[in-house]
Amino acid sequence: MRTTFQDELALLEATLQEEGALVLRALRGAINALEQRDEELADEVIAFDDDVDERYVRIEEGIQLLLARQTPVATDLRLVLAILHINLHLERMADYCVTIAKLSKLVPEVDPGPRFVEGFEEMGSRCEEMIRIALDSFGNRDLEGAESLVDLDELVDRANRRVVARILELGGDPEMREYGLRMVVVSRALERIGDHAVDIGEQTAYLLAAEFREFTDASHPSPREA
Amino acid sequence: MARDVTIPVDVGPAEIAQERKAPTPAQRDVVFDIDGLTVSYGSTTAISRVDLDVYRNLITAVIGPSGCGKSTFIRCLNRMNDLVPGARIDGQVLYRGQDLYADGVDPVEVRRRIGMVFQRANPFPKSIYDNVAWGPRVLGMKKDLDGRIERALTDAALWDEVKDRLKKSALSLSGGQQQRLCIARAIAIEPEVLLLDEPASALDPIATSAIEDLMHELKKEYTLVIVTHNMQQAARVADLTAFFSLEVGESKRTGVLVEYDTTDKIFTNPSDQRTEDYVTGRFG
Ligand SMILES: Nc1ncnc2c1ncn2[C@@H]1O[C@H](COP(=O)(O)OP(=O)(O)OP(=O)(O)O)[C@@H](O)[C@H]1O
Ligand SMILES: [Mg+2]
Repeated sequence: MRTTFQDELALLEATLQEEGALVLRALRGAINALEQRDEELADEVIAFDDDVDERYVRIEEGIQLLLARQTPVATDLRLVLAILHINLHLERMADYCVTIAKLSKLVPEVDPGPRFVEGFEEMGSRCEEMIRIALDSFGNRDLEGAESLVDLDELVDRANRRVVARILELGGDPEMREYGLRMVVVSRALERIGDHAVDIGEQTAYLLAAEFREFTDASHPSPREA
Repeated sequence: MARDVTIPVDVGPAEIAQERKAPTPAQRDVVFDIDGLTVSYGSTTAISRVDLDVYRNLITAVIGPSGCGKSTFIRCLNRMNDLVPGARIDGQVLYRGQDLYADGVDPVEVRRRIGMVFQRANPFPKSIYDNVAWGPRVLGMKKDLDGRIERALTDAALWDEVKDRLKKSALSLSGGQQQRLCIARAIAIEPEVLLLDEPASALDPIATSAIEDLMHELKKEYTLVIVTHNMQQAARVADLTAFFSLEVGESKRTGVLVEYDTTDKIFTNPSDQRTEDYVTGRFG
């Protein structure tokens, strides 16, 4: 039954789940570093990216060998391609966590009020939930779970818009403006993490339905988004 | 749809991936040390100046176009070429440091330690039991013959299919079963090395996959060298792959070893353009 091949595939998938767990830790660390202005933690998150990259490279190489040596077909082929894509999405998410951690170190000493921390906490925990659902629905081959990511992403997008609106209200003080600029990027990074989680859901759907379709399409927005 | 991921909880994927990797050169244990091996049949040189090491508990595949000398090469490893009239062997084949072609080496003893399975399953027209029992009987391994036969058939992944009809003729088995019977026959005498010359070329994909799974099991105990026409088979099963090619001179075609490396390397980034052309199907 091509046991070796099935084992290798299972190993790649396990490594992908491990990479996902690391991304979750990086995201929590980045959010905490931002909220608590903890520079040490921010540095840890930045260094931690090497761990994610190590998994990323291992999966890339593993897939290269699997394609070269095992000629996967049908469901196996879709699984290999899905892992290849999800690997990239996870690696991107980790990069955004690094961006957030770096920005958290550049924040000037201003007090914009608790609403910002609350806003980022909300976006951060929604993103965490999305990553968990994205990984679980992929692992469990759960189409419904994967599709639920679209609605969750909508909540992240709304939170992003709220944060941006608050930033616009910060006024003209140069330090506040600098803070605001940095936080636009943070908010955008979180919003992008949510998008990548949706993309992982699309890969799960592709694996299950044998047909790639985007859940949402930025250039043809659904009425809800318009 | 959900598949069990068979990863034990106490080790992470990194450790498992490491275990799976073919051992680095420093970790390899040389079984055959082949130096300057040249074989001629009469006036034709089949292979010329082959240098290659075969390592313990690994699967080494030999690939290359028809006539490049794959069978010739593998037959040198257990002195099967002695049986070919007009065959002449130069160079050196060391088996665990011992020159296989030195004076006083008994070719029958060599073939006992280094078993061979051929392209066409060739069971004797006798019972399944007798086919496997033949080698041990000839060698006087009479103790617990039944147990030995059960072990060989089990290791060859055939026991469950034949245990209720051991006295039936071996010729009543399917092609894939006959091939596994020949493997059982080869391992019944507990060789150290198994040479397989195109063991799956006459088999359908399912029987082929059974043989390939079997090879993975066997390498835990044996060292395997397999000749295959099927590049994908080498890619799937072998740890190391040797690519032979034909060097065309004036009116002569001689087999040469072009490249020998890990299978990963041969199939993702070979060093020699001729290997690249062969594995990508641009040649041969
Ligand atoms: N018994 C023999 N007597 C004479 N010449 C032989 C003999 N066996 C092989 N040869 C010649 O030696 C060369 C190599 O043959 P060999 O059978 O080793 O090639 P191969 O790579 O195994 O080919 P194939 O893939 O077709 O099995 C060929 O030119 C062949 O004709
Ligand atoms: Mg041959």
